[in-house]
Amino acid sequence: MDIAGSLIGLRDEALARIAQAPDLESLDAVRVAYLGKKGALTAVLRGLKDLPAEERPAVGRVSNEVRDAVEAALAERRAVLERDLLARRIRAEAVDVTLPGRRRPLGRQHIIHQIVDEIVDVFVGLGYRIAEGPEVELDYYNFTALNHPPEHPARAATDTFYVKDQSGGATGAGLESEVLLRTHTSPVQVRVMEKQQPPIYVLAPGKVFRRDVADPSHLPQFTQIEGLVVDEGITFGDLKGTLEHFVREIFGPDRRVRLRPHFFPFTEPSAEVDVSCAMCGGDGCRSCGGEGWLEVLGCGMVDPNVFRYVGIDSERYTGFAFGMGAERIAALKHGIPDLRLLIEGDMRFLRQF
Amino acid sequence: MRVSLKWLKEFVDVDVPVEELVERLDMTGTKVEQVVRTGQALHGVVIGRVLRKEQHPNADKLSYCQVDVGTAEPLRIVCGATNFSEGDKVPVALVGATLPSGLTIKRAKLRGLESEGMMCSASELGVGSDASGLLVLPDDAPVGAPYAEYAGLGDTILELEVTPNRPDCLSMFGVAREVGAVLGRDVRYPEWSLKPHGESVDSQVAVEIEDPDLCPRYTARLIRGVRIGPSPDWLAERIVAAGARPINNVVDVTNYVLFELGQPLHAFDLNALARCDGLTRIVVRRAQPGERLTTLDGVQRELSEDMLVIADGSGPVALAGVMGGEDTEVSERTVDVLLESASFDRACISRTSRALGLISESSLRFERGVDPELAAVASERAAALIAELGGGEVAPGIVNVYPRPAKARRITLRCPRMNAFLGTSIASDEAGSILRRLGIVSEPLGDDLVCTVPTFRPDLEREVDLYEEVVRIWGMERVPSTLPGGRERVGGLDRAQRLERRIGVVLRACGLNEHIGLAFEDPRRVAACGFDLGEGEELVELLNPMSSEQSHLRVSTLPGLLDAVSRNQRHGVSDIHLYEIGRVFRTAAGRKLPKERVVLGAVLSGAWDRQQWYERPRQLDFFDAKGVLETLLDDLGVSPWRLEEAQHRWLQPGRSADVVARGEVIGWLGEVAPDLLAAFEVDGAVAAFELDVRSLARAAVGTRRYEEIPRHPAVKLDVAFVVPREVSAEQVATAIRSFGKPLLSEVRLFDVYADPDGAPERRLPEGTKSLAFSLEYRAPDRTLSEDEVRGVHERLVQRVCEKVGATLRG
Ligand SMILES: [Zn+2]
Repeated sequence: MDIAGSLIGLRDEALARIAQAPDLESLDAVRVAYLGKKGALTAVLRGLKDLPAEERPAVGRVSNEVRDAVEAALAERRAVLERDLLARRIRAEAVDVTLPGRRRPLGRQHIIHQIVDEIVDVFVGLGYRIAEGPEVELDYYNFTALNHPPEHPARAATDTFYVKDQSGGATGAGLESEVLLRTHTSPVQVRVMEKQQPPIYVLAPGKVFRRDVADPSHLPQFTQIEGLVVDEGITFGDLKGTLEHFVREIFGPDRRVRLRPHFFPFTEPSAEVDVSCAMCGGDGCRSCGGEGWLEVLGCGMVDPNVFRYVGIDSERYTGFAFGMGAERIAALKHGIPDLRLLIEGDMRFLRQF
Repeated sequence: MRVSLKWLKEFVDVDVPVEELVERLDMTGTKVEQVVRTGQALHGVVIGRVLRKEQHPNADKLSYCQVDVGTAEPLRIVCGATNFSEGDKVPVALVGATLPSGLTIKRAKLRGLESEGMMCSASELGVGSDASGLLVLPDDAPVGAPYAEYAGLGDTILELEVTPNRPDCLSMFGVAREVGAVLGRDVRYPEWSLKPHGESVDSQVAVEIEDPDLCPRYTARLIRGVRIGPSPDWLAERIVAAGARPINNVVDVTNYVLFELGQPLHAFDLNALARCDGLTRIVVRRAQPGERLTTLDGVQRELSEDMLVIADGSGPVALAGVMGGEDTEVSERTVDVLLESASFDRACISRTSRALGLISESSLRFERGVDPELAAVASERAAALIAELGGGEVAPGIVNVYPRPAKARRITLRCPRMNAFLGTSIASDEAGSILRRLGIVSEPLGDDLVCTVPTFRPDLEREVDLYEEVVRIWGMERVPSTLPGGRERVGGLDRAQRLERRIGVVLRACGLNEHIGLAFEDPRRVAACGFDLGEGEELVELLNPMSSEQSHLRVSTLPGLLDAVSRNQRHGVSDIHLYEIGRVFRTAAGRKLPKERVVLGAVLSGAWDRQQWYERPRQLDFFDAKGVLETLLDDLGVSPWRLEEAQHRWLQPGRSADVVARGEVIGWLGEVAPDLLAAFEVDGAVAAFELDVRSLARAAVGTRRYEEIPRHPAVKLDVAFVVPREVSAEQVATAIRSFGKPLLSEVRLFDVYADPDGAPERRLPEGTKSLAFSLEYRAPDRTLSEDEVRGVHERLVQRVCEKVGATLRG
């Protein structure tokens, strides 16, 4: 048999085996069997040098063709097998995409502090700084300098927590002392004005305390946010404009705002601020008690008596103050039915917001 | 304040719908809390005519009647009253009607006979005090018509929230004046005429005020020969409408004038007062220590020196401005009445009322302030009414002791300043006309108004008070909204406030949820936790706590957080990760205000998340808390810091440490002691820490400096040291670092091994553990060769072994 014939025979045999190779390993075995160092084709090719010189070109051409054909078939078959293998792997690796992701859930900020931060940011945007004061306060800052007369009912030991005065100060018959848990954030106003001359633009968020038994609408400890502005030329209109801006930022641009005259000892004139009910838009419904309006804060122009206590000239400077309860805003905005949820630390509640 | 619209209309024309009146009152500072339409309560009460009246066969005192109520068949009604006859017209409550007392009429058998309704007395209908018999109506009353409609009972009651600065609005006339100002209507004054008779009061009554500061005015009148009896229906109705209870004509008149004009009055039975030589001596004085008085409500009261009493020659007969005495009250036997109309100090009445827990219509008004000018007018008004209703003669004159006459205040209102203050442009004549409607007379003086403030408005003391009057009536809604134009302001948070926010952000990123706990604390819990107070420090004690569990202020957030853990576990939540940033309190002898510190507390309990599908949940412990702490301190740039083994009563020994940053202890970290967990009813371990936020801020670096990013590759070599168990990982790591200069660039602990207790097979010598470190060597300027590093490494390992007593693990 001539060499060319045997090459053709080997080629056909190799091509057949390549086509039948079931996987890459078998394919590699086929490659080694024909093209490896001891492979059948390699052996034939090695025999070429023993051929007479005149036969070599023709046989060489045939042998190159055969090798190229086998190599091409190997590459093609390899590509097919690799594609199959990848396809199988992909099939095997398919997941149920609806399974939950792996994660460490982020913790949540308490809803009250979310509200406080949101309000702080609104007022920082209006050029306010944040002021703080002690939670255990002097009667002077909490009441006296805020123009509360000595007989003011809020001073009663039934309403205000009094603290034992370790400096030997007198305790009244009704357990009142000169030291108390602040009942509002307004004493911060006085402390700021004592320390700083106008212009003053401050916001004072903080905890306050009243002697109420915890129930769905009361807590003995809650959170207030106080605002104070003192400058030359501050008007009641400025107060109104500031609060309207605030309410729209916090409650939404379509809410209406109204100021109702009211009375507070440390502001004059004073007003309560209502925001139109989100449920009914002001027509009156169950969630607003039929009124169409929800009371959200109290405000007014700083009373000249307060200015007198802190030594600010009330002819030169005017100012306004406002205060609101974060719990009430939380309840209104998020529909929280029972304020006690806010202090219980129940993970199921905290993780809702 | 309950305001009957019918009554109000006597003094001012209310020609707008009720809804509009309510809206206008709301928007001018008198909040209407509720609108109640009365008369509807008598739904089901109609006018009936008695057709037949027969004796009840089984009861002497009952009659059996047929009553025409306009239906086809007359009703059969059993009745106990006797003051009527056939043909009379009476109110009939039909089956299903509910009377003001709450009684619902049912079909009922009375002594064997069925009764299909009830004929009513004035008292049963709540329209009068007469309970002696049926309310017999005039003959022209239309049979079958609703009684309330016929009697004109339909009324609208407005419940007003009167702010403490407006005592003048605690009367019908005062509210009428306010409504007049709000609606722009003039008010009508009540009218009366008084025809005095007999001996002048001066010769029969003397009044002395011992303490004019507490009683600026006291007046007395005498009315003799009064017949005490029930009030007429119109008066009783008014008393009921105002929210009180009719008693008798004299007492009802004093209440009527109180509601009408706002002046509390008191009627004494003259003959029950001590008399000396025909003269009744009234002394207004402070109570003497130990004095007692039985007030009208039958309660004997112990008086103290800061209370004011009305006394006769024998002792206290009334608690001034709060309540009269039982012994001298007007009763059925009273013939002569001494009528007190006075003015008392607000603070004194308020103190007395509070000290005794006794609140009356009178004390409510005096503690807000009653115009002293009103006393004589109201006294005359009441005397005239008593004489009209109860007969009797009013003695000429009035005893009027008025040591501190009230003066009308004069205040100049500068209109330009008012407009600058309000941000408005209200014309001065418009301001003047608003003030006039409020009873404030003003005269223009250039751009200003010189105002005379009537004595019934004690709240108007300063110019700014008048601004408020003008703007609330003019309309706050008309004030243009502006924003302050100040130029010298810069908003923002300071460093501490930003840091506090950052702490929250990092802890939440670590998976912790924020809690807000109460500041209150139980001292027994503080003792159980064993929190160490500093030298001479004490807990902050409340004088009037709500309960013994909340009698002090907290010194740590831990107890509150453990409470929250326990509460969550009770609700079936077992993976709990909480933090709180809040204040804690301590005081010391001599301090007025306590020390307040802001602390950050955190607790971890359960697993991070046991409700997942991809890995086995792992119980959180010491190192999870430490991991959170590391993340936080790293983020804040606190460096250097370390945990130091420490003993704390509230932490489990061996799992308890102090956090030391830059040489200062800034807090603690550990696992809560098992006995404490039991005390708080907590299951499983709780890892916790608490840091002082200000110390944390001090330890946090402001600015980080750039460090060169390595350009040349590192050579990494691992080594496992076997050391005695008491040698800490930190000691070994410190030793490695100290010998590693200059090529050692990083040291990481990657494995810790110790033979478990009681393990059958020992892999390490007894009492030792293995700590495996990965060491990274790097030169800033070149690539290190393996050989060079190996030499350095072997020397380093050798020296570490010597330093900490380690051997190498094979
Ligand atoms: Zn609504």
